[in-house]
Formats: sequence, structure tokens, C-alpha cells
Amino acid sequence: MTDIRSHFHQELESLEHVLLGVADRAESMVKMAVDSFTSGDLELADRVIEADDEIDQTYLDVHNRWMHMMARQQPMGSDLRMMSVLLHMNITLERMGDQCVNIATMANATEGLPRVDVIADELREMSDLVRAMLRTGIEAVIRRDGDEARLLPAMDEPVDRLNRNMYQEVVKSGPDPERLEWATKAMLVSRALERVGDQVVDIGEQLAFLLTGEMAEFDEAGIGHANAPSD
Amino acid sequence: MTLSSAVGANMNEEDLEDVGNVESKTETTAPATANLDLRPTGANQQMPPEDRESLDAPVVFDVEGLSVFYGDFMAVEDVDLGIHEHEITALIGPSGCGKSTFLRCLNRMNDLIPSARVEGGVAYHGIDLYGDKVDPVEVRRRIGMVFQKPNPFPKSIYDNVAFGPRVLGYKGNMDDLVEESLRKAALWDEVKDKMDELGMAISGGQQQRLCIARAIATSPDVLLMDEPCSALDPIATLKIEELMLALKEEYTIVIVTHNMQQAGRVSDRTAFFSVDVDTKGQRTGHLVEYDWTDKLFTAPSERETEDYITGRFG
Repeated sequence: MTDIRSHFHQELESLEHVLLGVADRAESMVKMAVDSFTSGDLELADRVIEADDEIDQTYLDVHNRWMHMMARQQPMGSDLRMMSVLLHMNITLERMGDQCVNIATMANATEGLPRVDVIADELREMSDLVRAMLRTGIEAVIRRDGDEARLLPAMDEPVDRLNRNMYQEVVKSGPDPERLEWATKAMLVSRALERVGDQVVDIGEQLAFLLTGEMAEFDEAGIGHANAPSD
Repeated sequence: MTLSSAVGANMNEEDLEDVGNVESKTETTAPATANLDLRPTGANQQMPPEDRESLDAPVVFDVEGLSVFYGDFMAVEDVDLGIHEHEITALIGPSGCGKSTFLRCLNRMNDLIPSARVEGGVAYHGIDLYGDKVDPVEVRRRIGMVFQKPNPFPKSIYDNVAFGPRVLGYKGNMDDLVEESLRKAALWDEVKDKMDELGMAISGGQQQRLCIARAIATSPDVLLMDEPCSALDPIATLKIEELMLALKEEYTIVIVTHNMQQAGRVSDRTAFFSVDVDTKGQRTGHLVEYDWTDKLFTAPSERETEDYITGRFG
């Protein structure tokens, strides 16, 4: 089949490529951020903050390119949906970077405090789960695989559960005020990871929109609902 | 449209004697681009890096204070504009804004209108295009033109392409040149088995690509296109647009279009012309804004441009 808009389609692909690169970067930032918090490695925390500066710059560049493409190309059909997906992904990934910075900030704020090993283990587990989600999301986008995207809510479920239970671990970590302070900050890290998980699910929903043309929020089983579920 | 106004069609050997003038001038004149800053005002500092590179593309046409008259009537007033190498420059604006008149100044097509006269300067690679020693026919070989309505000669497809080179006394292998030109015009595969058929027997979109092949066959430097797609259907239009994007690697292209979306899809820079009507009802066109297309279509500097591109005009 000849593509009589091949130049535009190359531009679309190139923008998608940039964003997949950002998603890739976000995955390694999650690991760096959580490791910096659980190990107290402040150099690592600084690297997360630097990496986020780059993501912010890319966010602005992508926004400009997106505007220019929209103004010039009058995308239609799946191209139009792709444009919508790219704008959404750009915002989502930028916020993901911000969550990593939140975690790195907690690493800085807990300098010298004693760690609670159980909580550190759980955060690392959440980090692994969220990063697996990100990998799945990226792969699903690359392969345009809606079925794979629909796995994301189920993958997010243990992340949510670990986050919900985190406060119990915090309560248990007392009464030493320093341990308690570290644990309280750990709850914010847990919350940030939970948000990243949700953001990956958002990307999956965007992919489903690209493939089906229907915008819907996934339930736990990855089934789309045009009217958002009440919970 | 007559044969004589088509690219290269009215060349003869006497005309060719003047070719040397243009060429020797090319060699002895310092490049006009070296110290000229012809960047559009307000060039977007945030543009993507691949666009930024072309900020410094050499200038092919340096237009300064150009006004065009038909008799006493001023059709276009005081245009300053730099057209850059290997870019597509789009000229847009309402009817009567002078964009086509301006385009025709770039290869002296207005010479063919007896009452037409220009003031100001058009420097082509640093040479005064309207200088006494410049041969308008050689100008039109170097600066080809494609018109609104496809206008193949009433000859075979082959002869349409071979016509200009033959008149110019082309000594190489004509079959190769014809094939190469048709390939560059993305037409070869569609016509290679019917080279003897009349140029007018193919579809409108194919005829327009044939006219582009004909323009390319004489090895021009610039292609001027005056609403090249306005007589074509949407698919044929997109094919011409893709072709333009491929051709700009080799040629500098200036296109007049009524279709703003087309300007958006193909051009690197856009010039927006508008028209003033005086008390006697005379309409004079002028350049309102010239900028990167990205910038002009997302955040133009002039209110008049904003009103035009958002449909608030008239």
C-alpha cells in the first residue's frame, strides 16, 4: 500500500519514539528514586532530580512539536487518535517524572534517619511491580497490543494493596520517633509509587482508545467502561 | 496558457547566447547570503532542532521593496522577503492580495504582460533578476513554473518531457533524461508503458505530475507553483504534496495556495499577504507577516494573520 502522507506519518512515529524513550527513562528513574530512599544514597537522589529536568525539557519540546503538527497536518482517524494519545502520554510521563522527584526529595529529607527494613522491602517490591507495569505498558504500545494493556489493572492491584497496608507498617514501626519519622516519609514514597502505577494504567487506557476508538476507563479486569466505575 | 509562456518553451539558440551572462555573473558575484540576515522576524526560538538548522539555509531570492504595477495601478506594494534554499515557501492570503503576482515576479513571468512593471529589487543568488543583461528565457529555465491547471502540450507523454531539453540542445541520452524526470515526479511507474500516449490522455493528477516532470527536465534550481492542486481531487492533491516534500531535497520551491491547510502540510515558511482597498476601489496587496509555518499557524505575530487563519476575515 502506498502511503501518500508518509512524511506526516514519519513525524508521528518520531514523536511516539521520543515518548517511549521518556517512558523507558521513567522506568529507570523509579528504580533509582526508590533505591535512593531505601539505601539513603543521596547522590542517586540528585541523579533522579537531574533526569527529571531532562524529562521536563522533553515535555516542552514534545508539546511544541505536537502543537505544530496539529496546526499543520489536520490528522484524521487513527492519526487523530494517535495525536490525542501522544498529548496524554506526554502529560502522564511528565507527572511520572515528578513522582520520582517526590521520592528523591524524601530520600533527602530522611538523611541519617534509621530505616525500617520491612517497609524498605515493601517499597522495593512496589518499585519492582510498578516497573514491570511500565515495561508491559511500553511493550503494549510498541506492539499495539490491547490485550497486554488490559493486563495492567490486574498488575496494579498488588501495588494498590501494598500502598493501602503501608500505614499499618508505619504504626508498627514506632515508638522510636526517628524510625517513625522515616516510616511516615516512606508512606509518601508508597503513595508516589501507587500514583505511578495508576499512570501506567492510564497509558494502557490510551492505547485501548487508539485501537478501538472508544475512550474508556479500565476496571480491575481490564474491561473498558465508557462511564467511569463508581468506586 | 500558451505554449510560449511554458517553461523553456520559447527558447532558441540566440537566447541561449545570453546564458553565459547569468553564469559569469554567478561566478563573480559574492554569495548574497553570507552577511544577510533574512530570517523571518520572531523566528521561534523553541522550534525543534531539525527546523533550527534551516535558519541558516542560504537565500535564493532576496526580495527588497518590491512593488508591482499594471499601468498606473499598484497591485503589490513594497514586499521584503527572503526565500531560502531547499525549503518550501508558501504564499497565502485572500483573493487579490497579490500572492500570484508576487510569485510571477520571481521568474519574470510578468514580463509577458505588456503593462506590468516592477519597482524594487529581486536578487536571485545575488544577481539582479531584472538586470539588463539577464535573459528572461534563461531565468525561466532555472526557475520553472507549474500552473493551476495542468497544461501538458498536445504531444506524447515522452515528448512533453523531452521538449524543453530538445529546445535547449540537450546532448545526452534523452530516454534516460525522460525516465529520470518522470521518476523524480513520481509518475514513471504509472506511464512507462504508455509513453506514446497523449499527455492529455492521463488523469488530472498525473497531468500535473507530468508538468512537474517537464519542469524538472530542464534542470531548474527553483520550482514555482501557482495553486498546483486547485484543480485536483484530494488524493491527487496529497500525492503532489508528498512529491513536493521529496523534491525540496533537490529544488527550492515556492507555492501559492488558497488552501491554508495545504500550506500547513507542505511548507517550511509561510508568507501571509493581505489586500487594502482604496477609496476608488483599487485593491493593493501587501505582505503582512512572514515566518516559520509552525509559528505562523500556532502563534502569529500579527492580529491580521490571526484573524485570517482563524476564519475571522471579511
